Amino acid sequence: MEKQYKIGTEEQQAYFKDYNIAPKGCAFLEPGIVAKDSKEFVAFNIAKSFYQVYPEVFNLTYVSKKVGLDKDEIAKRIKRMYDEKLFMLVSNSYVGIMGFGLYYWLVKLKKDTTKEEREALTKRFQENDQICTGYMMEEGGDFDYFNGNHMRNLDNLVYGVLDKFRSNRCVEYVHILPIRRLVRESHVNMFDCKEDYRHYFWSDEQLKNVLKMQKKMDKYDFAIIDALNNCGSIANMFDYDVLAKLSGLNAEEMRTDIMKIVDDQKTIIPMIYFNYASLGLKLHFFAVSLFQNTPTYRVEQICDELAKEPAFENIFDCCDGHHNFILSAYEGITDLDKIREKILSYGEVIEVLEANSPRQFRRWTCRLDDKNGFYEECIFTDDVLLDRSKE
Amino acid sequence: MKILEARDYVVNNLKYALNPKSIAVVGASRYPTKVGYKVVYELMKWGFKGTIYPVNPRADQILGLKCYHTLRDIKESVDLVFVAVPAHLVTQIVNDAIEIKAKVLVVATSAFKEIGREKLQNDIVNTCRKAKLPFIGPNLVGLGSPYHHFNCGFIPYLPVEGPIAMISQSGANLLAALGTSQADHFGMSFFVGLGNKADVDFAEFIEYAGQDPHTKCLAIYIEGLDSPEAFISSCKKVDKPIVVIKVGGSKIGVKAAFAHTASENPNGDEYYDKVIKDAGAIRAQTWQEFLDVSLALGYLPPLKDDKVVMITNGGGAGLLSCDHFERLGMPLHELKDISPMLAQRIRAYMPMFGSPLNPVDISGTATVIQYKGAFQQALRDPNVDGVLGAICPTAVTDVLGVAKAAIEVYESTKDLNKPFIMICQGGEECHEAIKLLREHNIPAYPTAEQAVNAMVALYKYGKSKK
Repeated sequence: MEKQYKIGTEEQQAYFKDYNIAPKGCAFLEPGIVAKDSKEFVAFNIAKSFYQVYPEVFNLTYVSKKVGLDKDEIAKRIKRMYDEKLFMLVSNSYVGIMGFGLYYWLVKLKKDTTKEEREALTKRFQENDQICTGYMMEEGGDFDYFNGNHMRNLDNLVYGVLDKFRSNRCVEYVHILPIRRLVRESHVNMFDCKEDYRHYFWSDEQLKNVLKMQKKMDKYDFAIIDALNNCGSIANMFDYDVLAKLSGLNAEEMRTDIMKIVDDQKTIIPMIYFNYASLGLKLHFFAVSLFQNTPTYRVEQICDELAKEPAFENIFDCCDGHHNFILSAYEGITDLDKIREKILSYGEVIEVLEANSPRQFRRWTCRLDDKNGFYEECIFTDDVLLDRSKE
Repeated sequence: MKILEARDYVVNNLKYALNPKSIAVVGASRYPTKVGYKVVYELMKWGFKGTIYPVNPRADQILGLKCYHTLRDIKESVDLVFVAVPAHLVTQIVNDAIEIKAKVLVVATSAFKEIGREKLQNDIVNTCRKAKLPFIGPNLVGLGSPYHHFNCGFIPYLPVEGPIAMISQSGANLLAALGTSQADHFGMSFFVGLGNKADVDFAEFIEYAGQDPHTKCLAIYIEGLDSPEAFISSCKKVDKPIVVIKVGGSKIGVKAAFAHTASENPNGDEYYDKVIKDAGAIRAQTWQEFLDVSLALGYLPPLKDDKVVMITNGGGAGLLSCDHFERLGMPLHELKDISPMLAQRIRAYMPMFGSPLNPVDISGTATVIQYKGAFQQALRDPNVDGVLGAICPTAVTDVLGVAKAAIEVYESTKDLNKPFIMICQGGEECHEAIKLLREHNIPAYPTAEQAVNAMVALYKYGKSKK
């Protein structure tokens, strides 16, 4: 019988009875995988193409009930938030199932790196279409960049991306961090979380503080994003009748199709990305290393305990790298001392590197650099069928 | 969707498809690697003189042009809306195009009837027909005209200017023809990919081409014919030669044609033979023949009768030609039977070992002067209906010199209205000569059979006009 790899189901267990490895195959031939332009994705694709102009692609009735504003007001706010580049409708795919490896890498520059050298590297990372997600850190931190690629094999990362810059005079080191578990990204719990799958997290403290430190977004704006992300079934996120009117396709069919891949198969997470940089927020990153003799089960226990902290915006669990966890929380609105204290309370922790990021280059193939005129330009970055070692 | 005859509002609006004053590109992209970028880029690169309105809800500027978030945001009049976005977005874009009163809609998008979305395609067609908005496509590569510096679509280059209008369901073959145009000087008046031809049909472009002053010949590539009555009726209305290649006749080709452009072929190939014949068009069997015959019919007048004289410096080329003439049912006549006087006169241009039969072999030592004299004598003879010249390079042949002589003779005898076709069989110098000849409106080919096919097509067209 064909394996569907469904997270948290008997089928997933059946798979692991046969094999003690994570699924890692030929991408589009993996069971359960559908292409981004397949009919199962249609509802998301319509919403993604129209929400900039038609906020009513979202389920405004549901949001209205949850937020306590009328539908017109919510539509206006969604439009305004988009126009001000405060948020974006995006989707994350379960790369583990799709047969990709998710490889992040951390870059440390030498102390005598010149401003020009730093700018040149920043430009390179911003413009490199193979990098799907990336963060630039402020000068003076323990490291300078944290970028990631989803790739079929490590050679393509090494030859195609890292070898292009790591012998630069100014680069002290590059640490490759293969992601073992994608636990949380952009506030949303991802495919490898232990609990609260697809939940959108903010701590009460952060929400309280973020409302005080800026005027672009009020509590209703935050509540709208929260309602859309914490919608439970994907059936609640969109207004399928509006999608049908815009596209000429069948509403019920679209709803059933997307529920299959989001709610049932769990291979894709449509979500609202909160663009922290547009509010002037900075993400404070922690690169946490554990003693090498820490047993795997303990590493994962620590990861899951940390994941209970709602203040973390990102939680990456790495393997076979110098660092075990990459965590981030906003500077200025989060009690970072408390967070640091919590991390250091684990006797398994050997080292914590820290740095502040005021700028995200891309998120999951989508450019965020408004200054260059490329905001929300999505670039397909996979390397399926390519051998970059021959380039 | 079927039409019974070409619709006037469609034919009248097709001028906006091929010579628009303004064009909105929906799906224009900021990113140089994306097709939506290329569409705008190629329009600009090839010198489109009208106004371009890029449309993309995520962008404010594309290639230095102001970008509009929707069609409705454009307040000026828009002649052509070119759509290059996924299929599920097209319905709303069509509604917007109707609202802004666009004159014509071109949808490049795939994934309609050819993947089973017939209802979606038909709904869009019905909306367009109700609003009298001609809808070209979907599932096409683009369209353009070198006369208007208009290159609209995923098309790397414009063809050279010339007399042939190419109307093709296949984008790949259309692009191949454009490549041929650039490489071998295959001159076009305009070109259009029809794709699924959901609304605007062959018939309407045929009637438009009939009115287009630059078009002298129509070359039509068909995968499926939904409206044969309209096709026949429109072809009959047009007083220009029409060459058709109809594919998808093989067992697996029927399925491939549906998967490609949703073309349905319920009838056997003989049915299309009859339709094309009833339409008064000429059917080509291979792509090469299609191009070769179109070229001749585009550049040359019809052959009034079958008195063709062949002048060659190579006996082999002559033999290949006369055998092929006979195979096609138009055997060459001996020169003495066509014009006894010409047979005498032409001896002055060949050595003793030459042959004044027909083909006239002026031998491998033939000089430019000998070629020129023989061509002149043959074309000027009132008993000769057309001339086929052949250059087979030897060590002493001045290939480009002969080509230039042929051009000179042709220019000076143009008023006689006789077809003059050349064969240049050989290497790079022959390719150069072919291009040079074609630049001067003389169809020239690298093989004897191609040239003979072209001459016979001129004869058939001449006969059909009688």
